[in-house]
This record gives sequence, structure tokens and C-alpha cells, in this order.
Amino acid sequence: MENIGDETVAHTLLRRASSSSFKQQPPAPEPIEESPKLRSWFNWDVETSEWDILILSTCLKLLLYPSYRSTDFEVHRNWLAITYTLPISKWYYDTTSEWTLDYPPFFAYFEKLLSIPAALIDPKIVDLTNLKYDGWSVVAYQRTTVILTELVLGAAVLRFIRGSADPSTQRIISASLFLHPGFLIVDHIHFQYNGFMFGILLWSILMARNGNKLASGILFAVLLNFKHIYMYLAPAYFIYLLRSFCISPSGQVEIKNFLSLANAVIAVFVVSLGPFLLMGQIPQLLSRLFPFTRGLNHAYWAPNAWALVTAIDRVLLRYAKRTGADLPINPSGVASTSRGLVGDTVFAVLPNIKPIHTFIITIVFQSIWLIKLWRTPTYKSFLTALTLCGYTSFLFGWHVHEKAVLLVLVPLSLLAAERQAYFRTFILASIAGVFSLFPLLFTPAESVVKVLYSALWILFVYVPLSRRVYEFPKSLPYVILDGLEKIYLAGFPFLLAFISIFPAIVERQRVGQASICPPSLEFSCAEPNNTLPAEGSRLAMLEFLPLMLTSVYCAVGLVWGFLRLMFIYLHEETTYQGQLSSLG
Amino acid sequence: MDDELSALPPDTELRKFTSRIRTTSLGVHVRQAYHSPASPQSSTTGRRGESPLRRLSSPSPIPHHLTHEIHAPTPQRHLLESNASQHWLRTPPHSPTSSRAASPVSAIHTHRLIRHMSFSSLHEETRPRPRVHDKEKEKEREREGETMGRRWIRWMNRRGLKRWVVPGAILTSTLVKACISLGSYSGKGTPPMFGDYEAQRHWMELTVHLPLRQWYTYDLEYWGLDYPPLTAYISWICGKIGSWIDPAWFALDTSRGIETEGSKVFMRTTVVVCDALVYVPALLMFARTWQGTRSKRTQSLVLLTLLFQPALLLVDFGHFQYNSVMLGLTLLALNFFATGHDLVGAACFVLSLGFKQMSLYYAPAIGSYLLAKCIYLGPSQGGILFLRLALVTLTTLLLLFLPFLPPFAPLPAILDPISRIFPFARGLFEDKVANFWCASNVIVKWKNWASHGVLIKLSAGLTALGFLPSVGGMLHAGYKLRLPEKLEKPEKSDVVGGPAHTHTPFLPLLPYALLSSSMAFFLFSFQVHEKTILLPLLPITLLLSGANVDSSVYKWGVLVNNTAVFSMWPLLKRDGLGVQYIATLLLWNRLIGYNPFRLPNKSFIQLLSTAVYTAALSLHVLEFIFAPPSRYPDIYPVLNVLISTPVFVLTWLWSIKCGIEVGGGLGSGGGVAGERRPPSVSEHSVTADGAATGSFRQMGGRAVSLGVAQSYKRRATFGGSSRASSVVGAGDAE
Repeated sequence: MENIGDETVAHTLLRRASSSSFKQQPPAPEPIEESPKLRSWFNWDVETSEWDILILSTCLKLLLYPSYRSTDFEVHRNWLAITYTLPISKWYYDTTSEWTLDYPPFFAYFEKLLSIPAALIDPKIVDLTNLKYDGWSVVAYQRTTVILTELVLGAAVLRFIRGSADPSTQRIISASLFLHPGFLIVDHIHFQYNGFMFGILLWSILMARNGNKLASGILFAVLLNFKHIYMYLAPAYFIYLLRSFCISPSGQVEIKNFLSLANAVIAVFVVSLGPFLLMGQIPQLLSRLFPFTRGLNHAYWAPNAWALVTAIDRVLLRYAKRTGADLPINPSGVASTSRGLVGDTVFAVLPNIKPIHTFIITIVFQSIWLIKLWRTPTYKSFLTALTLCGYTSFLFGWHVHEKAVLLVLVPLSLLAAERQAYFRTFILASIAGVFSLFPLLFTPAESVVKVLYSALWILFVYVPLSRRVYEFPKSLPYVILDGLEKIYLAGFPFLLAFISIFPAIVERQRVGQASICPPSLEFSCAEPNNTLPAEGSRLAMLEFLPLMLTSVYCAVGLVWGFLRLMFIYLHEETTYQGQLSSLG
Repeated sequence: MDDELSALPPDTELRKFTSRIRTTSLGVHVRQAYHSPASPQSSTTGRRGESPLRRLSSPSPIPHHLTHEIHAPTPQRHLLESNASQHWLRTPPHSPTSSRAASPVSAIHTHRLIRHMSFSSLHEETRPRPRVHDKEKEKEREREGETMGRRWIRWMNRRGLKRWVVPGAILTSTLVKACISLGSYSGKGTPPMFGDYEAQRHWMELTVHLPLRQWYTYDLEYWGLDYPPLTAYISWICGKIGSWIDPAWFALDTSRGIETEGSKVFMRTTVVVCDALVYVPALLMFARTWQGTRSKRTQSLVLLTLLFQPALLLVDFGHFQYNSVMLGLTLLALNFFATGHDLVGAACFVLSLGFKQMSLYYAPAIGSYLLAKCIYLGPSQGGILFLRLALVTLTTLLLLFLPFLPPFAPLPAILDPISRIFPFARGLFEDKVANFWCASNVIVKWKNWASHGVLIKLSAGLTALGFLPSVGGMLHAGYKLRLPEKLEKPEKSDVVGGPAHTHTPFLPLLPYALLSSSMAFFLFSFQVHEKTILLPLLPITLLLSGANVDSSVYKWGVLVNNTAVFSMWPLLKRDGLGVQYIATLLLWNRLIGYNPFRLPNKSFIQLLSTAVYTAALSLHVLEFIFAPPSRYPDIYPVLNVLISTPVFVLTWLWSIKCGIEVGGGLGSGGGVAGERRPPSVSEHSVTADGAATGSFRQMGGRAVSLGVAQSYKRRATFGGSSRASSVVGAGDAE
């Protein structure tokens, strides 16, 4: 019943906004169409401290201009060139570069928009044949676009502060999102546009909080057409909007709401896919968006459940080899282990995982949250279910990329200050998640930056928030869990030390060309029969070891965080209503 | 973050309430309304000894109803603050201090204010005060809180991160340094000679592989070692460590121009580590000693201001040099002078000289300070100090050069380093430097006008003239304030302490003397590099770090800092550090709460700043849009020099002026200073007086911290603006 009260508060508070959007059918699907929003968009009530954060972060990001760039940088440059030089009909067919366009059409339009000033600044940027161009102009330009488009995120988190139940705490959370090390690592060093797209996601969540569910749905549809990875979150959106927007609390279908939402979402998709539909390119487009030819694990295992399963498989294989235990061993799996990080994963001992398995597990878990969400369609419940949907997909999805952990961390951050249980989950998942992003940057100079920055971020987020939500452990099991979690977190510095020092040691040994097998490497020395490949596999194994350890260690934390959040959502949610449930 | 209070529990509501009392307690209205006969002495004890609220809660001599006077609409208060619970409110709060800006006085507090004011000094009461409107006051308070650094420190304090302020500041600055290090450096990818980075790396290679005798003689054409031995020793240590990690980085001759990822990271790391080992501790010590009695928050702010000084960040971590080691050693010397450990200080300064001969620019100031101290102590004690200083200085110097001296090397060997360190054979100036010679060269072609020898003599003469005023002022102050013989004797009998072991009253002159002597060197001596501006920047940044946002020290300091970075623009541009140039400048100015585009008021420094910023900005815009005309390829650097040099010359003159004023104030006691200081920070003659205020506040601060009570100091401190006193009060409560 509190949920209903919550909804009414939301509606009364924002009657103007919601009623206007209920009535009018938006002519175009663009999110910023509602007039009240528009006004608040231009009325920047940014406080001095918020300017401080913006300036500080911008300065830091400016300093990161010359830092390491992954191939994603060239990918995006190539897309600028494709969208600028080619007609729209050839966008999804071009194969000049190996980095073909594989994002949905809105992102292609977005690149087209960016390519126009780029051509004015330096025509070489948009030259399709000028592959791997890395002049100062293109670096500065692309990096600048990331910083500028990230302002969408900044604006969204700002709006979260306004009208929050506890603005001072929300400000910390908002700042933590805007300054998230994930964005710094993935966007400003590695190079992507996640800040921009998570900005749209947060705008959409904000609209849900403010009771403007139509806008929320439209924004999410827009987001889906920017990057389809957000489909992971779609079930929660679908159920939430259906239950709370299209069906009244008493169970009647609000046909008007339903139609407006459906039409708006369809309109968004028409704007996005329409041109390609007309050209009959939808199959080609889909084949680019969903390449089902990859393996279970990405090159570097994302820290999810499959990383743990793979690691168990590897351990079992060793065990079987050393003790001669009677285990059915798949020979291609053995080859897969020796290859280390390359290619798809084939298990040697455990039964192999097929895409359909991952799909079923994901669906089963998600349906649990969705049933719960259907019963309690409050904002907070929605937020938790959204996080859990992203979490499930990350943990059990097929060929998940480590960057997808942001799908978990960003919505989870919004729950961080709810109370101790959420906060602990947030800290565990954030530390493990951010740490799991570290291997993206392997150059030593950037490594210093990423570690220092993440440590500072944790410090400035952890201490104030933990003071805010601290609860005394209720009983002995809680104390024990608390201790175990602390031990787990304390392991990260050691892990960091190990993965920084270990490659140097390996390097020294390789240089020294030690013929005798060092005792620490007995794992690989157990197979002396094939000398040359064993040497190669040993080195690959050694190079892969730090990555594997990182992945497994982070996976433990993330899986545990998942269990925590699941427990909280299913058991404690009904008995406890925190800050977010009371609006205003 | 100011609206956070609304969300905090009632306890903080109370804090807000009390802080309002505090910050407005020295308000103008009240001061005019009520004259207290209390003596200055009682004022100080009262203000520092007691918590303000307890004092306020003691019965007021004036009845409630008489003093109620509404200045502003009464703000809506918490339930607990209603009249019914007034008694509850009078309990002492957990923390009576807060640097938060307060809203205008509301009726309910007025009677307490008067009670509070009765502790005020007569001195302050009788002084005529200009009427400041509430609105202006509000603005002023706003400006006070306008520093990003202060806001950050306040947030940290409020959020339970108090003990993380200093580590957090240092870590953040390290992060910024690491980020700058990602960028380009001097001479990157420009064979065959490369740049300063290669020079430093080459010295590591050199010292690791060659016997000591050859350090100063090996292949001088290719970046021969031309820094004093301490640089060579540190290079040797770095080279040893680097060679242990990867011998290829420092292989003799073959590693020239090496630019592998690993070697670059190693080189960058050595700078960050050296900085963290020498400069950062020196800054910490500076905040603790020179700003000893300021509140912890102000000390942190001082640290922040100094840590993020853009010029040093850009040169050391961008361009690539080890200036922070030299500056850090000099700063350590200053700190030891402030704590009275003159001998350690002298040794530190010699080490600084032994690291980079450039710190000779400071030598006149430091030498004259130590000499003045000898004079100040009188013939017998001063004589002893002089002898000790001479002994320590010479010993340190000998130790530094020991490997090049007779028992270890033949006598002529010492000539190798000496001739390398002082290259008289080079020209008057290189490149385009914003000093007197280069700027005037536009009109007078010095090289055609006089021979090399004449020019060197001329520049030496001008430099000497440049630093003489400060040296003279220092010695004069030492002589004027010399201890009477009587006082000298009993003090001597003390086991610990005694005047020889504390700092001198003319210590506040030292930063100004350092500034004018190093600036004189920068402007007039020969063979100056644009990076050398870092030397004058150190003392003026030290001065500005503790200064008030409204003081003229602050304005001069920021102007000089920004101009210095601007004057290095051609160098930074060549190094490919354009983005870093923008980012560090923006960050630092925001951090210290400086807005260069604020509308100028009538003060000279404001007008000058506006003019300089406008010129600099237009030059940047011009340079960005138009390529230089082929007839004048150097037009932009020359214009840069022409914009920067006047600022440096004016700063030099200003430092002399401040030195004279501070010296004069010292001589005639506190009365002069008190009279001369403007009642509040007003516009007229802000240049002179603000400077005096800043220095006196520092001095007063130290006086309290070091337990030296001298009347003029105290008066200077507590006669300061209300803000200053509240800061001191806050410090005590903390």
C-alpha cells in the first residue's frame, strides 16, 4: 500500500508534467520534447560545488588526451568516415576497414552528426581509406566529443539531485556516477561513448522516478537504438511500464496510456530503422548487430559465472592429469586450455555450454525478478529489478564483454545509499567491477592513472556513504559475512601487486632463458613430452595467469554481490522501505 | 554543497546556528553600537581560551528586548530552535567552528553578539569603520567561500574524511602529475639532439657507466653534464635502478634517444618519486611551520594551492626536469629557518645549490637573512652563529665536491665541474625569454651595441642592483632590531631556546627578499631560460598560498603565476603540451578561487591583471587563427615576451616595495602597521596595505605557534579583518 501512496505522491508532485505528456501524443520520438523538461533544461541551476566537479573532471580528462587508445578509437574514426563519405544505403555494407559498423542506426546518425564538424577540422579524419589515422587533430576531436557528449550524463545526474529525498547524499552518488572510474577507463582512455549512452539511460530512469513513465519508455527506446547491449535491461522496463503505466493499480488496462506508449516506442523504431526497412537492409543490419559466431568467453574472460566455471574446468583438468582420476576428458578442451586466451572456450572436463543454455539460465533468473516487479511496481523495486536484469545478463550471458559490467554498476549506484545492505553490495560490486576493467589498460603509464584514480574514487565514495548508512550487524552470521567480505576486499591490493610484478618476473625469466623449471611453475612442467609447444603454451599460460586470476577473483565478488542483491530484493524489500520510496 | 545542512540532523542545525554567531560576531553594526572598555589582552585570552558559545551563554548585561533589532527576515528555523527551547540551544555544541558563510544576522542573536564584542580590543573598537551594507558583506562572504579548495576541504571535514584531506590532496596531485606525464615531453621524437628529457636520461647513462672523473668531460657535445654534483649523484642512483630493471634503457652510447614505453615510464616515475620525496614533504612542513597557527583547513588549503601550481607541474612532469628537487631543498631551508634551525637550513640550501646552480638566484636573500640574523643576535652570539654557519656551509659544499678534490682526484679535476656549471662562454640570452635583455632587444640590438665581455659585466651589475634593495633591507632590519646586550645575556643562560634557536622577527621579509632577488636574476642576468621563472614563482606562491582572496598579495601572486605559465607557452607548444597548459591553468585557478575575467575595480593590480589577460588571450586567439607572417616568423614569441616582461618587472618592483614596507613596519612596531592597514579590505592603496596585512598575519600566526609573544604581532593578528580572527579561532578550537 505504500507503493500506491508513493505513486500518488509522484503524480501529485508532477501532475503538470505527467498530465501534459499523458494527453499529447509526441510528434517526434525525441526525448526532449516535453515543454516542462525543456524549460528545466535551459534553466541551469548548477551549484558552485557542481561546477567544481565538472571542471576538475574535465581537466583530468583533458590531461588524458595523449593517453593510450584501443582499437575502438579507430573503430569510431572509421564510422565517422563511413557515415560521412558513403550514402546511408551503404553504411551497413561497407567493409573497407575490418571495423565495420555494428551499432544500431541512431548511433550511425550520431556519428554522421559528429562527422560534419570533423570534416571541417581535418578532412583526413573522414577519409574512408585513411585507415589508422592518428594525427593530433583526430585524437583531440574524438576525445573532445566524448567529453562533450558525456555532459548528457552530467545533466542527468544533476537532475537526480534536484527533487531527491536526500540531496546531499544524492549529490555524492551523482558525483560518483559522473566521475565513475569505469567511464574514465572505458571512455576517456580506452575510448567509447558509454558516458553519453548511460546518460540517456539515467535520464530515462530519472523520468521513471519523476513519474513521467511515457518519457522514460521513449528514452529507453532511443537508447536501444543507440546501442543494443541495453537489451539486457529491456525486460525490467517492459514489465515496469506495462504494470505501472498501462495497467492501473486496481488492475484495469489504461488503454490510452498503452496506446500512447506503444505508438511512441514504435515511432522511435521507425525513425531509427525506417530507412533501412525501406531499403530492405534489415537482415544485413541484424547480422551486423548480432554476430552469433563468437565463443562463450571473450578474449579476457569477463568476470562472470562462466569465468568461474571455466576456471573450475581448468583446475579439474590439472587434477585429472596429475592424479589420473577417472574423468572423461574432451581432447579439444585440452587444446583449448593450452591456447590460453585465444579463441572460444571448450571445456575439457565439464559439459560444454551452448548459447541456448546461457539464454535459458538468463531467462529463468530474470523471470524471478520480473514476477516480483510485477507485484510491486514501485520505482525502487524497478531500479533493483533493472539492476538485477543487467546483473543476470552480465553473469550468465553468452560472450559477455568485461565493459558490460557498467550495466550493473550504474543502476546499482543509484541504490547505494538506500541502506547498509545495498551499500555493501554496491561497494563489493563496484570494487570488483572496476578492478575487472583494469586489464583493458595494460600500458604501465596508464596503469598508474587507473589505479590511483580508482583508489581515490573509492575513498571519496566509501567513507561518506558508509557513514550515512551504517547499521550494526544484526547477528553472528552477519558478523561473519562482514568479516569475510572485508577479507575479500583486502585481497585486492595483493592481487594488484601480484599482477603488476608477475609479468616483470616472467619477462626476466624469459630473458634469462632458464632451462630448469622453477618450482612455482610446476603446473606446466608436468608435461615434458612435447617440448616446443609446451614452451609456447607455458608462456601463453604465464601471460594469461594474471588475467585469469583477476577475472576469477573479480567474478567471486560479483557473483557474491549478485546473490546479496537477489536476497535483498526477494526477502527484505517488502519489510523495508527506504529513502527512494518517499518522493520529494 | 551549502544546502546540505537542510538534510542533516538537528545537531548540525545547531552547528549552523552557532556558526552564524561566530562569523557575524565581529559584524560592523554591533561594533559601532557598542564600545567595550576591555583591553586587548583580555580580548585575546577571551577569544582564544573559551568556546564562543559558552561565552555567549553567560548572562548578558543588556536586556533582551532592548537589543532586538531586525536586520533581515528571520530565517525559518528548526522546531527545536523555537523560543521554548532556548535553554537547550545554549549547550555547547560538539564543534563550535565552521568556516561556512552565514546569512545576515537575525534578531535573536543580537544581544549575544554584543556580549561577545565586549571582549573585543579597544584598538579595534575605536577605529573608524566604513559602513558596509549587508549585501556587500554577503558578497564578501560569498567570495570567501568561493575557493574550490576550501569547499572541498569543508566537504571532507563534514563527511568524516577529515584525516584524509592531506593524503587525498597529495594523492590527487600525484594523479594529476601522472596524467600530465602521459603527454609529450621536451625533444620527443626529434633526433639527433632531442631535448631536456634526453639530457636527463643521458646523464643517468653517463654516470652509471663512466668513472666519476669522466662525468664532466665525456662527449660534451652531446648533452654533457652541466649541473652540480648532486644532480649527478641522483642520476647515478636512478640509472642504477633503471639498469637493474632493463639494462637497455641506459646502455652507454647505444641508448641515445631511446623512447621505448618502459624507459619513458621509468623516467617519468623518477620525477614523480623525487618530487614526492623532497618537494611534497617540504610543502607539508611549510604548511605546518610558516602557517602554524592558521586553522588546519587553511593549512590544507595552502598545501593544495602549492601542490597544484601549474608552472611547476608543466615543467617538471610535462617538459621534463627535476626542478622540484631544487625548489624543495630551498623550501626545506626556509622551513628550518622558520623553526630556528639555521644550520640545517643552510645545509639544505647548499644541497639545493648542489643540485642545480640556478638556486644561486636565492643566495643573496638567504645569505643576507643569515647575516642579518648574526647582526640581530649581537656581536658575541652572532659571531658564533656566523662561524657555525660558515663551517656547515663549507663542509656541505666540500662533501658534495669531495670526489673531485685532492685525496680522490688531482686538483685540476675540480675545474671540470666548475667550468661546466658556470658557462660564461654562452650568449646573453637564448631563445625568447621574458626578461629585460630579450624584451629590450626588440629596440636595442645589444649584441651589436656592445661586446660580449661588456654585456656580461653590465648584466652582472644590473642583477646586483636588482637584488641590493632587498639585501640592504634585510641587513637593515637585522641591525635595527638587534637584541640589546642586556637581553642577550640572560637568554644565553637558558639551556634550550634562546634567540639563536628561534626564528627572527624579520623572517617575514625573507619571502619578499627571495622574490626580488630571484626576479632580479631572472630579469637581468645572462643565460636565462624561460623555465627559470619557476624560481621567482616559489616565494610568491608561498606568499599567496596563505593570503586572503581579497589581499593584493593574492592578486599579484596569481597574476605572476598565470603570466609565468603564459610566458612559457612557446616552450610548451614546442613540447606538445597545449592541452596540459589549458587543463592545469584552469584547474589551479578554479582551485584557488580566482576568476581572471572578473570585472576590474579601480586598483592598479586589478587593471593590470585585466590588461594582461586580455592581451594574452588575444595573442592566443591570433596565434590559433593566423600563421605568423613570413617576414616575422618569431612574431608570437616576441609578443609573448613583450606582454610577460612588464609583469615580471612590476612584480620585482612590487616585491621591493613590499620589502620596504614590511621592514618599516617591523622597525616601528605594530602601531604603524595597525594604522596603515585599511579598516576593512577596501579599494584604496590596497596594494601596499594588503601586502603588509598578509605578511603580518603570517608573522602573528607564527608568533603564537612558536610561543613568542610580541605585542605588535598580536595586535597585527587580532587587529586583522574579522575573517582572520575567526580563522585563528577556528584553528584553536580544532
